[in-house]
Amino acid sequence: MELLRPSELAQLDGGLFIHGGTEVVPLLRDGILATETLVDVREIVPRGIDGTRIGAGTTLAELEVDPQLPEALREACRLAASPQLRNMGSVGGNLLQATRCWYWRLKFPCRLHGGDTCHAREGEHREHAIFANDFCASAHPSDVAAALVALRATMRTSQRELPVEELFRLPTEEDRDVTTLEPGELILELDVPRPEASTYLKAMDRQRWSFPLVGVAAARSAEETRLVLSGVAPIPWVLESLEDATPLPGTAYKVQIAEALIRRAREAVA
Amino acid sequence: MARLIRTEKEVEGRFEEVWLVVDEDALEQWPAGPRDIVGRPASRVTGPLRARGEARYTADLRLPGMLHAAVLRSPHAYARVKGISFERALAAPGVRAAIGPGEANMLTDEPGFQGQPVAAIAADTFGQARAAVELVDVDWEIREPLLDPEEAVRRGQLVSEPDRYERGDVDKALAEADVVVEAEYRTQTVLHSSFETHQSICEWRGDSLDIYISTQFIWGVRDEVASKLELPPDKVRVVCEFMGGGFGSKNGAGDHTYVAAELARRTGRPVRCMLTRREENLAAGNRNSTIQRLTAAARSDGTLVALAGEYVNATGWDGWPAPTDGPMKMLYDCENVRTVLSPAKINTPPMKAFRAPGFVEGTFGLECLLDELAAKLKVDPLELRKLNYAHSADDRPFSSKNLMECYKRAEPHWQRRDEVRARSEGPWKRGVGLASQIWYGGGGPPSYAWVRLGSDGRATVVTAMQDIGTGTATTMTQIAAEELGLPLERVDLVLGDSARGPYASISAGSSTTPSMGPAVRSAAADAARQIIEIAAQRYDKEERILSLQGGNVVSTDGDSWPIEEVLGLLEDAQILGKGARGPNPTGMQVLTFGVQVAEVAVDVETGEIRVERVAAIHDVGRVINPLGASSQVEGGIIQGIGHTLSEDRLLDPATGITLNQTLDAYRLPTIADVPEIVTELLDIPDEHLTNLGSKGLGEPPIVPTAAAIANAIRDATGADVRSLPISREEMLRALREAEAKRKEKHGAAATV
Amino acid sequence: MQVPELTINGQRHSVDGPVGQTLAETLRDELGLTGTKIACAEGHCGACTVLLDGVPVYSCITLVHTVGDREVTTIEGLREHPLVEAFVRTDALQCGFCTPGQIVSASALVESNPHPSSEEIRHAMAGNLCRCGTYPKIEEAISTWQG
Repeated sequence: MELLRPSELAQLDGGLFIHGGTEVVPLLRDGILATETLVDVREIVPRGIDGTRIGAGTTLAELEVDPQLPEALREACRLAASPQLRNMGSVGGNLLQATRCWYWRLKFPCRLHGGDTCHAREGEHREHAIFANDFCASAHPSDVAAALVALRATMRTSQRELPVEELFRLPTEEDRDVTTLEPGELILELDVPRPEASTYLKAMDRQRWSFPLVGVAAARSAEETRLVLSGVAPIPWVLESLEDATPLPGTAYKVQIAEALIRRAREAVA
Repeated sequence: MARLIRTEKEVEGRFEEVWLVVDEDALEQWPAGPRDIVGRPASRVTGPLRARGEARYTADLRLPGMLHAAVLRSPHAYARVKGISFERALAAPGVRAAIGPGEANMLTDEPGFQGQPVAAIAADTFGQARAAVELVDVDWEIREPLLDPEEAVRRGQLVSEPDRYERGDVDKALAEADVVVEAEYRTQTVLHSSFETHQSICEWRGDSLDIYISTQFIWGVRDEVASKLELPPDKVRVVCEFMGGGFGSKNGAGDHTYVAAELARRTGRPVRCMLTRREENLAAGNRNSTIQRLTAAARSDGTLVALAGEYVNATGWDGWPAPTDGPMKMLYDCENVRTVLSPAKINTPPMKAFRAPGFVEGTFGLECLLDELAAKLKVDPLELRKLNYAHSADDRPFSSKNLMECYKRAEPHWQRRDEVRARSEGPWKRGVGLASQIWYGGGGPPSYAWVRLGSDGRATVVTAMQDIGTGTATTMTQIAAEELGLPLERVDLVLGDSARGPYASISAGSSTTPSMGPAVRSAAADAARQIIEIAAQRYDKEERILSLQGGNVVSTDGDSWPIEEVLGLLEDAQILGKGARGPNPTGMQVLTFGVQVAEVAVDVETGEIRVERVAAIHDVGRVINPLGASSQVEGGIIQGIGHTLSEDRLLDPATGITLNQTLDAYRLPTIADVPEIVTELLDIPDEHLTNLGSKGLGEPPIVPTAAAIANAIRDATGADVRSLPISREEMLRALREAEAKRKEKHGAAATV
Repeated sequence: MQVPELTINGQRHSVDGPVGQTLAETLRDELGLTGTKIACAEGHCGACTVLLDGVPVYSCITLVHTVGDREVTTIEGLREHPLVEAFVRTDALQCGFCTPGQIVSASALVESNPHPSSEEIRHAMAGNLCRCGTYPKIEEAISTWQG
């Protein structure tokens, strides 16, 4: 394996991108990811906060303490992972983190790995999805993604601009990916509009350093109050109705938690 | 004169009779209360080395020419190796040797759990060894695993015969009782999660084997390895200077030691075998899950008349029946008790002792049941416990028992409950619960220590024990310093090497301090006696008027000489004192006791539980180091909180594969999960126990925590939580069940 | 490029591990700086915490080739820090395996916030697990680190 450290976008030519490395390094060492060429993109991806614009290389630790940012984003960062991981992890990388589904992480030949079964549906699935879980019951672990989608953030990549919401797609038989990112495409910058009010509430197994069982991001603008959930679907879940939930036997409790957190989040931004 | 006696030895509730050579144990106990050094807080003697990163753990040792081993562990819960080929592995870079089933102790071709060792590779680096393990070609016959402990009991598939116990006539008592409660409790599988994973470095020197190992029992490893490898015990040297946690999982040699020893033999090089965290979570042991069907019966005045328990321990593929039934037999005065404990043999990783094995699980069931009984009797839970106070166990008197005093000291904490409940607000309901604790902790012989003093006036305690992080090195130093009248900083301790010191106790079963402390005191007293003899001759005084105090030899007639002046006479010669642990009091039960009072807040809409305060009052005899002791109590309670709320080893129900092998998914408590903890230790010496009157404290604090929290949750919410961990889903389920019961009751009342 | 030079505790070191080697492996196996412990090797527990330009990170999931010119501080560079004495004084260590990592994290906290509240300590230290459960004493050590 070789490591490249390009200093400009034009030098990018394939390879596996690494920034904070909090996800890439463990997955590489575990053989879930493999590459001949690692590309350290820290010199290319902008870092820092300028008004509503956030460099995708900004760390979660930097976002959590910036009083200018919407509450939902700050709180999602504050409650994410652990201090060291927030110091290492970039916001761009956070959006691309893989599920914590233990079957996927243990390399069971599940649908996300190209297989034809979701082991979690019949197996142990207390941390899994209550929405869109028919094909794959994995839960998306990013607190930050839920907040950004709720805030109607947009992003600029090396190839296009798009709403953060459109970064995510549900995996299907034909395409098992949970993002729409193309090979070689690099997230560069986010634009996070200022809501009138926003919040992020999170239910987890410990007071800190746990992935969301259920996270609820709420953002109120002049036009709408938008609710987006983490930990409940294979991708950040834009809530239409909790009635749509199709919980598995072991995840029914998540519906009850979501109900309470959704109500509280609505009250908080009202 | 050496005296040969027959005495009883107990480790973690398992008794055996042993022959023992003891010296006359002539020392009187010190009077109760703090002395110059013993009974006063001392920061740990190894603290600076550990904090500065200078302490050398087994993980930090690097021997010249050392190779690294990696183990091929069964990926299947139940399988047979039909064929195995090392051809590709041996051709891989850096590979030096490979061994397979039958070529080292514990390597098997019929694994009965995921993680059971099958083969191993030695290579120049750990990375090369791991990579080569992936190249071992195994032809597997995969078998259907049995994972359900109750099914195993039905099939009679047990690791040992069911353990049956009965006193009195339970059926008759049940028939005559005024109130009967029955409930089923469940506890989960919990992982020790020692931060230093299990590991050894083995090096052959001629026909002798040196083992550097992270262990709780240097001498046990020596004997076990010597026996398995058919070596004279003194040809095996075991070294453990610093170790990074064990909690019961490091009592034996472990597969890694046999793998390292065999690969070292084959390569002629030292070999390290270190478990990864994932291997640790599979193959290093666990606190087994249990199912407990319990019955308690009482007269309307609260007198317990019967206790009965059917216990199933999901022991795993191997292991022993942890005494889940122990608390039911011993905690209360109850004439009629019947228990049966079935240790189910299933295709899961074997249990190992884990901090008060059996009693932690059994206390959860029993002490929750007592609260359910108290509710039905409409008796205060603390009063119910006082009312049924036991004065003996199995017809043996207790060597000391001050549980009633613990209850008394618990009252101010217990009386906070009106104020705590009143702080309930919105969805957050608050409540208070308590639970009692009983456990062993008397230690026992044999254990030996030497104390050496030279002309510099410094003392060194030498004993081949291990300090697993509990702070025993510090308590031993304090005991020697106290007896020698030396300031703490003039006493050193050498431990951790079977070739350099005498036999010492296992660090398990809360036994190190009560086993080793008396031996250290007796060795220090032997040295002190010699110093006084020398001083008496040199200064022409009677021995009886001399004593050691504050670094001086002091005479009652007013003279005083610094110890270094007396010892300076020796030049290069040394004073050598030796001491041994005497026997435990015969015919008595040596046990520890306590009570914990927990305060919780429960968000009844989301199932979130916050433990806000735990008061712990324990009776463990004389306290040597109140500072270290409070750390032990806090650590036990915090592990107990993990056990109660967040820790749960999960298996795939189809394959028996462990799903949470990593510390993101297996959730130990963080600093943010810790409540206020109030520690009160009675510090009453056990007058029947040794020259110290000290019992152990490693395990007692974890015993009652889960039950105290569960009882507090019931107090706060009215919900019966009978299954650990009390996860969000379990809390919400219990709340729904309580709500349904309430409705049913109201409905029934309406029809009447 | 493939032979990085690192500044560790103020000293320059050339290291020659392959790409993919972690900073923790380099520190322990190549440079003999074994104060940094590895307990999980997957970025979950904090025993391997070091500072990069003063910021706590998990060295077990930091590739040594990505460290670049960021300055590395390990427990060996913090041995004279008052926190060491505070941890010993308050008994904020039991087996001690997680302790160097705890002190490294705490050093960054008190550098930016010399008088952290209980809540701030708990927030900043949540990535350093301790199986022995020394947390109350760790909190005490940090809140009294100046003596």
